[in-house]
Amino acid sequence: MKADVSLDYQFTSSIEKVWNALTDSDTLAKWIWKNDFKPIVGHKFQFRAEPNEWWDGIVNCEVLKVEEPHTLSYTWASAGEITTVTWTLTEGEDGTTNLHLDQSGFSEATKARQGAIEGAKYAWINNGNQLEKVLAEL
Amino acid sequence: MSEKNLERDVYAAIADPTRRQLIRLLADAEELPLHELTSQFQMGRTAVSKHLAILKDADLVIARRVGRETRYRLNAGPLKEIQDWVSYYEGFWKERMAILNLLLEEEK
Repeated sequence: MKADVSLDYQFTSSIEKVWNALTDSDTLAKWIWKNDFKPIVGHKFQFRAEPNEWWDGIVNCEVLKVEEPHTLSYTWASAGEITTVTWTLTEGEDGTTNLHLDQSGFSEATKARQGAIEGAKYAWINNGNQLEKVLAEL
Repeated sequence: MSEKNLERDVYAAIADPTRRQLIRLLADAEELPLHELTSQFQMGRTAVSKHLAILKDADLVIARRVGRETRYRLNAGPLKEIQDWVSYYEGFWKERMAILNLLLEEEK
């Protein structure tokens, strides 16, 4: 069982553009959820998804680190699990940007099979055609 | 599609905190009679029975009659089908990144 989420993405946009997508509340809303994010350390904010039968749709967050345009970190608390999301941006060759995501701090219970019990509620959030819906709106 | 429905039953079954608590209690024991499970909750025997029935329908508990009481044991199999948080979030972020990529492409 892996302890953390660790993923890398390459974008052919400049680091400034990617940073903007991560820190501008309106842009953020287009690819995560509605939010009242501000890139200010200590700022408490929420992501609000459509609630469903299994989940209230709320993620409570607090900004931990803002180092434009390279590092952004905030807590991510939802459905009883508190984790930390950290974005690291690095400039590649010819104006590309590597975006690295770490999500850490999953409880021991989560790493064990027990976590499935709480986590299961969550797996239905995007069940259905949420992605298609978003893409259709773009 | 039938697979989906079966899964949904499991999710619905464990979406309730009382039922998750029942699963935890049963996870710590080989087998428990109804009255012992009931003693762990504020609610009455009937309410606990109803929750156990939902868990039973989702194939998460196995009930058997022993004399005058019903004894319950956990069947964790269906839970293994459900992803843990870490796998869930991996899928979640991959999906989000696909959207972000489209957004950034559109900006050009």
